[in-house]
Amino acid sequence: MRLKKSQLKIQALKNLKRFLVPSSSKKAQLKIQATENHRFPELVSLNKKSQLKIQEMAFMLVAVFLFFILVGLFVISVLYVDLQDKATKSAEEKTLAAITSLADTPELSCIASKSNCVDQDKLITLLNKTVYQNFWPFSSLRVVTFSGFDKNYDEMIECTLANYPDCELFNIYDKNVRNERAVSSFVALCRKSFDNIGVTNKCEIAKIIAGTELKYQEKNEN
Amino acid sequence: MRKKAVGMPFNWIFAIIAGGFILFLAIYAAGKFIKTSEQATYTQTAASLASLIDPLETGLVSGKSYMIPLNKKSKVFFDCDERKDPPFGRQTIAFTGQTFGNEYGETGGRVSLRNKHLFVEDVIEGKKMYFFSKPLFMPFKVTDITIIVSDSDKYCFYDSPEDIQESLEGLNLKSIVFVNETDECSGIDVCFDNRRCDISVDQASGLVRKNGKNLYYTGDWVYGAIFSSPKIYECNVKRVKARFNELAKIYLDKIPILERQGCRPQTGPALRSIIGDIGGSAELGNLYNQIDELDRLNRLALEGCELYYNQNWDR
Repeated sequence: MRLKKSQLKIQALKNLKRFLVPSSSKKAQLKIQATENHRFPELVSLNKKSQLKIQEMAFMLVAVFLFFILVGLFVISVLYVDLQDKATKSAEEKTLAAITSLADTPELSCIASKSNCVDQDKLITLLNKTVYQNFWPFSSLRVVTFSGFDKNYDEMIECTLANYPDCELFNIYDKNVRNERAVSSFVALCRKSFDNIGVTNKCEIAKIIAGTELKYQEKNEN
Repeated sequence: MRKKAVGMPFNWIFAIIAGGFILFLAIYAAGKFIKTSEQATYTQTAASLASLIDPLETGLVSGKSYMIPLNKKSKVFFDCDERKDPPFGRQTIAFTGQTFGNEYGETGGRVSLRNKHLFVEDVIEGKKMYFFSKPLFMPFKVTDITIIVSDSDKYCFYDSPEDIQESLEGLNLKSIVFVNETDECSGIDVCFDNRRCDISVDQASGLVRKNGKNLYYTGDWVYGAIFSSPKIYECNVKRVKARFNELAKIYLDKIPILERQGCRPQTGPALRSIIGDIGGSAELGNLYNQIDELDRLNRLALEGCELYYNQNWDR
């Protein structure tokens, strides 16, 4: 009797398990049924909601990522313009510093003991020398004599060995850059001249003009 | 008992990975940005230093000097290459400053100089930089010997000749000390009495011994030999000779212009014979013999017909 009772108990438990706790494969089957089964709409909407959440998050992340990239690009562009400005300013400073001492350089300095004086006889020999284009930090270098002060470049008589010294513009070199800002400095321009006394120094005032290449388009350019 | 696994929702994993990636990119970009800004600042400083050398052009004076204070302890790197940008060669300057923990930042870009001759050590470190220049005649002025020393390098000159002492003392440089019997000086010893020092100057042979190398000099080249590294000195000897060659061509072209005014300069052949390359400082002595001959011929010219003037040249 006891044995039968216990057998019955086991059976009852087994049946309970069968009905109350389904096995894992059955659980999965039930889940699939639930997704396919339109008889349970709450389950379907729950799944779609989570998919939407993931999509939302992905879009959000992409948007944040793009936002940071745009901000970065903006900062870089601002800095890059600033960097070009700084480079141009630095080049202009260099031109200004160099032009004030240019007349004292051995290539131009005067024949006699004079400071800030350009030797015109040396200057005329410099006109055909291309080696000096990269020697000085200028994009162009010119010397204008006193008689050419009120004239445009195209109105001046350009100096050559043939018309020297009856000329107005010594075009030492011109790199023909698109954007250029020129600075000038006054110098004494002296040459040897033969007269009744003998060979003397003849000097006049002149302007030495050096150009700096501008790396950016000038904002107020027409 | 079965253990229950800790589950992590997919959206959390996705957020962590994507967030981590964005964070990594942001940190990387910030690092790059700081590095680039630092380099830009240091390149600009190097360019400013290069601009400051222009006013040192001596003109008629026998020397010029000034001091540049820097915001923080900095390093300036110099290089010289006589083959770049022919015919003049070029020197470069690069700059870096101390950042956190006395560490030096990323070195800025190199700024080129073609029309200057800097006689310097390869690296100079300090908070103050002393610049000074002396004109160099061969026999006409060819360039300025520009020297840069820092406050952390003290040069102790022992038994220096009077002319060198007078010339340097006139520039009022705090980094150069002329040591008397009573004084004491600790730094880079420069001896003129054939003793073994950091820098030994043998005046009889025109030789400066430095870093185990022999640097030959004539006249004012001695300043260049004392204050520059052997590599930069030898490079500048070649660069100065290249500038001399181009200047000689200018003077040769000037002869027919002087002849138009009735002058008859006799310096042409002598000048033409000096044009050419130089192998190194060992050839300076021979070059100066030719230069002396050229100068003798120039002095023979009629008054007002000299090809060049060199009143400041002491020989």
